[in-house]
Amino acid sequence: MQKRERVGRVASWSGQELRGMFTTATSWLEKSAPDIDALNVFPVPDGDCGTNMLLTMRSAMEEAYHASDRNASAVAQAMARGALMGARGNSGVILSQIFRGLARELEGRKSFSGHDFAAAMAEGAILAYKALTRPVEGTILTVAREASFAAQSACTQSEDLLSIMEATVKAARDSVANTPALLPVLRQAGVVDAGGQGLYVVLEGALQYLKGEVEEMQYRRPQVVPSSMPLVSRIPSAIEKEEPYGYCTEFVLEGRKRLSPDKIRKRLDNKGQCLIVVGDEDLVHIHIHTFDPGKIIHYATSLGMIHQIKVQNMDDQHKDYIEMTKAQAPPADIATVAVVSGEGLTQVFRSLGVTAIVPGGQTMNPSTRELLQAVESVPQERVIILPNNRNIILTARQVPGLTSKKVEVVPTETIPQGVTALLSFNYDADFETNASLMGEAISTVKTVEVARAVRSTSIGDLKIKRKQAIGFIDGELTSVGDSPEEVLWDVLLRLDTEGSEVITIYYGKSTKRSTAEEIVDRVHQQYPHLEVELICGGQPHYHYIASVE
Amino acid sequence: MVKIVTDSVSDIPAEVAKELGITIIPLYVRFGSEVYLDRVELSTEDFYRKLTSSRIFPTTAAPGPGEFAEVYDKLAEETEEILAIYVSSKFSVVYETALRGKEQMKRKCRIEVIDSLSGIMGEGLIAIAAAKEAQRGANLDQVADVVRRAIPKTHVYMCFDTLEYLRRGGRIGRGRALFGSMLRVNPILRIKDGAAHPVGRAHSRAKAIEKLYEFAKSVTNIRELAVEHATTPGEAEALAQRLNPIFPRERIYISTIDPVVGAHVGPHVIGMAVLER
Repeated sequence: MQKRERVGRVASWSGQELRGMFTTATSWLEKSAPDIDALNVFPVPDGDCGTNMLLTMRSAMEEAYHASDRNASAVAQAMARGALMGARGNSGVILSQIFRGLARELEGRKSFSGHDFAAAMAEGAILAYKALTRPVEGTILTVAREASFAAQSACTQSEDLLSIMEATVKAARDSVANTPALLPVLRQAGVVDAGGQGLYVVLEGALQYLKGEVEEMQYRRPQVVPSSMPLVSRIPSAIEKEEPYGYCTEFVLEGRKRLSPDKIRKRLDNKGQCLIVVGDEDLVHIHIHTFDPGKIIHYATSLGMIHQIKVQNMDDQHKDYIEMTKAQAPPADIATVAVVSGEGLTQVFRSLGVTAIVPGGQTMNPSTRELLQAVESVPQERVIILPNNRNIILTARQVPGLTSKKVEVVPTETIPQGVTALLSFNYDADFETNASLMGEAISTVKTVEVARAVRSTSIGDLKIKRKQAIGFIDGELTSVGDSPEEVLWDVLLRLDTEGSEVITIYYGKSTKRSTAEEIVDRVHQQYPHLEVELICGGQPHYHYIASVE
Repeated sequence: MVKIVTDSVSDIPAEVAKELGITIIPLYVRFGSEVYLDRVELSTEDFYRKLTSSRIFPTTAAPGPGEFAEVYDKLAEETEEILAIYVSSKFSVVYETALRGKEQMKRKCRIEVIDSLSGIMGEGLIAIAAAKEAQRGANLDQVADVVRRAIPKTHVYMCFDTLEYLRRGGRIGRGRALFGSMLRVNPILRIKDGAAHPVGRAHSRAKAIEKLYEFAKSVTNIRELAVEHATTPGEAEALAQRLNPIFPRERIYISTIDPVVGAHVGPHVIGMAVLER
């Protein structure tokens, strides 16, 4: 696709451009599908929300390219039909309703304007809500509604599709970030709604087409919207619920005579859970969780032909899911909450089984409220907080007085202390014992930190110029130099490594791995008895954080 | 006198078994199409050499019921009471098969088959306690009673370099909680209620072994103690020396982790079994 130059405002857009928008959106979604899949917290079904939405989009676009005409109406009708035929999972079905709204609004039109698009979004959102017998907020539905609302408000300011779309995408993003506030299960799992995220990515992709940024998109990828709530790692509370789920039954019904989605919905309403019936007189997509899929299919075949039947035993899926969550869930009834910044360090803490992570650290101290929210959001009644920073310990100490949960603060002052504390967790021991074991472990590790000075100063004998690299051992300034590597090396030489076994080096956001690897080589040569681990910590401020134990 | 029977997973050193009159039934270890009788046709040393050098991942198998019946029948020639104690039924089908073996016996003999809910020297220490009781002249019911009371007082700890072998074998239970760490950590598992459970982790092998010492130290009333290794006798000896102030070194059994277990846990495991009074 070529980068398009647009001069001035374009009042009306063709069917080809509509197709272009959503083709771009599909490839944008494709890049994000694995990330969206990873967001899913519900045990069953729709385990792969991102993939389901992508397949729905692909089916829509395939039809769009076979449209009878290139005018807006024909393309929108084709997309709606394709989306309905190819819809998979809850989010896919709801997405298909947005295209149905588009098709309705653009019916009979050769081209469309920003206003038309806004009206189509609104129609789509209404249809999406209608598709569900019991709509749930904090899902793709909310994102569709809030985005379409923003689109309509933007219409009062401008007629330009581009600026309307910009407002729509921004609102979708905010709405996604807010989903955990509306849906407790998201909050517990520490993720935003997957379907909502998917819709946001689709709209963002369409916007990039309108901006003419198709070329640049190759080098970028969609980002998962961060939650507006503190992050909590995945321990779905659904673990204990082991009631049977039955079969997830999904198919497309092509009517022999005229179909009535409303009648079908009424007829199936008490036959199972999560019923979705969407479509028109010719074609209806049905999704239901039932104990007796035979009955549903029998009824449907009395009305017409059925296509793309999918029946899955959700209890089997659920068993796999339970197994999976058991593997991830922390044993015992003790939760750990840690303050961590940097993607790599976050992953390190998660991999060590921390229950919840509050983003923060040096110069980004979380508030008592954020820590409290994290403590409240975990299912466990006993919680250990690891502040991992000297400036956060006091804030953390406020939390026990503010909650009915039992909370202990293990006063870790650095990231390595937090890691060591977490590693000393004893799965057999009780809460108090673990809190004291973790506290004792702090002294078994030495922490090295290397940053750049933000201003010139002198501390003790050391004169520091702004932007020089400075090194600390357990919070004490010990070394100054021009490069962070030079300072790290100098600090390591000062350390007494006799009796130590492992050096772990976490390199920061602004450090290249190859540069860090050079240090590792030097450590290997100088201290052959030490094991060296190099980990991408991705932390801000600190070029290096290292632990010696 | 009551005769004690156990399987090769118990890790009882050959000389101890001989001295206490314990009969050990070997399991099978298989590398591809080569099948070996555990510790009879394949020594522990040869096994671990093969494990680390062979591309084939070994599998293990229990003897058939007929093989158990044969052993029982042979013992029945010289005794009227047999007590058999086997590796946890959650790890292996040995116990189930041994029960069927009992039904297939030709001779008549009182025989009690017990699931140790343990493995390696945990199972071994229970069998040793039973044999010592039998040597003192206890009858089958008395020995069985000693065994049943010993089972919940048996603790087995193992520290690993990696849980990869255990994961591949699928015998890990809740130990899965220790998977996938981004740091190189040494996980420690214990056998509890017949299955492997996570206990903790350490950031180095030496620290992990030190944790085994800490666990032993927390037991106030040690009756029997064993230290085991797969390929690192030096570490086992060092741990035994470290444990000396808690329990006399000369009474600590030192043993090697059985190939059948090794096939599932890998080559660098250190184990410790404690039997409380």
